[in-house]
Amino acid sequence: MSELIFGFDEEQIKKDICKVMRNLFERGLVSALGGNVSARVPGAKEFWITPSGIFKGELTPDDLIKLDFDGNIVEGIGRPSIEWPLHAAIYRVRADVNAVVHAHNPFTLGLALAGVGLKPITVEAVMVLRKVEVVPFAFPGTDQLAKLVSEKASTGARAIILQNHGIVAMGANLYEAEAIAETLEEVAIAQFVALALGKEPPVIPERDVELYYKLYRLEK
Amino acid sequence: MQEQEYFGYAGRILYIDLSREKVEEKTLCIEDIEMFVGGIGLATKILVEEIPDPRIDPYSPENILIFMTGALTGTPVYGASRYVVAAKSPLTGAWGEAHVAGYWGTELKKAGYDGIVIKGKASSPVYIYINDRNVELRDASKLWGLDVFTVDEAIKNELNDNSVRIASIGPAGENLVRYAVIASDIQPNGPRIGGRTGMGAVMGSKNLKAIAVKGSGRIKIKDPARLSSILSRLLPLIMSSPTAQILAAYGTAGEVEEFYEYGDMPIKNFTLGIFEEYKNITGQSFREKGIVVDVYGCWACPVKCWKVVEVEGRRIRAPEYETIASLGSLLMIGDPYYLAKVNYLCCKYGLDTISTGVTIAWAMECFERGIISTADTGGIPLTWGNKDAVLKIVEMIAKREAFGNILAEGCKRASEIIGKGSIDYCAHVKGVEMPMHDPRAFKGMGLQYATSNRGADHLYGLFFRIEQGQRVHDLKIYERVDRFSYKGKGWMVATMELWSEIQESMGICKFVDIPPAHVAGLYTYATSIKRTVPELMKIAKRIFTLKRLFNIACGITRVDDTLPRRFLKEPLNEGGAKGEVVELEPMLKEYYEFMGWNDNGVPKREVLEELGLLKYVEKLRIKI
Repeated sequence: MSELIFGFDEEQIKKDICKVMRNLFERGLVSALGGNVSARVPGAKEFWITPSGIFKGELTPDDLIKLDFDGNIVEGIGRPSIEWPLHAAIYRVRADVNAVVHAHNPFTLGLALAGVGLKPITVEAVMVLRKVEVVPFAFPGTDQLAKLVSEKASTGARAIILQNHGIVAMGANLYEAEAIAETLEEVAIAQFVALALGKEPPVIPERDVELYYKLYRLEK
Repeated sequence: MQEQEYFGYAGRILYIDLSREKVEEKTLCIEDIEMFVGGIGLATKILVEEIPDPRIDPYSPENILIFMTGALTGTPVYGASRYVVAAKSPLTGAWGEAHVAGYWGTELKKAGYDGIVIKGKASSPVYIYINDRNVELRDASKLWGLDVFTVDEAIKNELNDNSVRIASIGPAGENLVRYAVIASDIQPNGPRIGGRTGMGAVMGSKNLKAIAVKGSGRIKIKDPARLSSILSRLLPLIMSSPTAQILAAYGTAGEVEEFYEYGDMPIKNFTLGIFEEYKNITGQSFREKGIVVDVYGCWACPVKCWKVVEVEGRRIRAPEYETIASLGSLLMIGDPYYLAKVNYLCCKYGLDTISTGVTIAWAMECFERGIISTADTGGIPLTWGNKDAVLKIVEMIAKREAFGNILAEGCKRASEIIGKGSIDYCAHVKGVEMPMHDPRAFKGMGLQYATSNRGADHLYGLFFRIEQGQRVHDLKIYERVDRFSYKGKGWMVATMELWSEIQESMGICKFVDIPPAHVAGLYTYATSIKRTVPELMKIAKRIFTLKRLFNIACGITRVDDTLPRRFLKEPLNEGGAKGEVVELEPMLKEYYEFMGWNDNGVPKREVLEELGLLKYVEKLRIKI
């Protein structure tokens, strides 16, 4: 019988991590070897994370590893994602975040490499992404990268672009984190298509953006 | 009482006393594998506990020769093909061990044994035949004197079984050349070699010519479905590493160019930084010239760095990087056809190519400096680049003929015999000839050579990989290091040395780079013994420290944890490591602190207590 804490079934969380990973893989946002996903029971000081080095398209709950915030293995067998410091750093500073997706969104990354910032070109770009930050390149898996991400995450960002690397999406649960990662790419693709056709994409007017924020009581 | 069920392990060790012609099976103790895992860990425990006195002559019948497979050897884990051989070394007078890949280890486990412990000395030459737990000591009088290829054929003919796997010595082992090897999986396409520290000579000293093994058993896996699932999904990671791709295409010879550019590939006995002829002896050159004719692979290996050449009508294993450098650039020879031949000769006679090359390089430098002359060498002009001289000298070493008898002692002892300051040109640590990575190009390699328990050793730590830019997250080596810096390398070298203890205890190949945490997971699925990286690293420290205690008992002190003067004081004038020397002392200090050793290189009491090793202090009669 799996453990139930505040209505969160850890076995279900593990299944959902695998499902989200598969969705991201099928959408080309994580590759065979790149990308990782984690989630925790709200408030927990431990989290489940995908393994490192194992083909990402077919993960099963048995592949997942449960870590504490210092990276010690609490449950599971094998090798956790080398990006665990980044995940742990976010959970340390964001009580509202219970799931973290690290993907390699190609269009999002391409625009960032070209120095093109994402713009509020769709309602989703406004509503789902809200605040996107960028951090400079640091080697994957390092404490330095975790520190840079943690600093931006603590400002309330929902998505962070890691220069020359990929993106991080944070959500209250796995599906929100996945939605943010996918929306980032969707917006990036639309913006790229417009730019490729030689047009500067029009954005949603500022007053409408303000209205959305008021209506939904969102913080900027 | 219900019999213990073993997964991954065979569950039995074979004890053979050659003096008494007594054969006995002992059950593998669970507590021992919890403390020492298997492979070199288990061999260390057995050697230290069962050798009557570490101070014995290595050629005495009291020396113990141990063949031990790794915990994962013979399982489907990638690269899990290896076995180790351990004994007191005739080259170092202290700890000795060699590692061998191929199929022999798997065959031994399938025959029902994790390892063989050989004691005593046969009254006349024998070989051991193991066929699924039927063990025979057979007369080898007619095999004595045969080279390894011929003995392989002769035993297969005698047993009328071409599939039997044979580990054998050649004439060099019989003649107690101090760097004689043990060769296994000899034909086709072999041999694989247990090269370092003279384990073949210990085998020869016991009048043991060969061990022939045939096994039809099955190695049980606790969770085969999970093991298989993880392995299949790990493959893209393993094969995507640049090193794996080079090894797959060209073998270790494929790294010649890169090592040369780093100033790492030694030239003219470590005195030059430029040797244009290196271009002829790269792995690419061997292939383009059609010298490499085929690709082979060890048990469960996806990389297949094993390349094949044809010499004298035999398909044999192609020269590795270490051989290409030690018998090539080190002697100023850049001829791939010669290298295929000299490699064949060393295999045939059973000589370690690194020690052979370094010892000849020492002799060539002595010849150039007038310390020795043709009067000493039996008329052979030992000039740089003289291929014919090298081919002749190799035979003389193996047969201990004339000047070859001095070189058969290894460069340190040979320099003691010749005197006249010739020790200054001898590239050795603790009596073991230095491998082909110049520590002035990779400073951490200098520390690794200085501290390795079996003397100058490129494989325990493989630190040049780290200094080429590899990171090992699971061992907390997160950042890329500067190859010329020395700061902060003490703990890193120690960490990599310790991880090597686990690789050699698991029986996995370092060229199939499975990340440490995956090794822990695969071991857990294979054996049902749950392990994490921190737990394995504690075991590694136990093994490494126990060897250190053995060495201390054999007289090794801090003074021996050093490098030849050339690497500490004499920079090269050109090449990729121009102007560099090794700043050993600060690295050594940091290393001792990390290991928990005092300033004299002796492990502290509290460290021994934590590792469960205090009891060995009394057994080995050492002071801490």
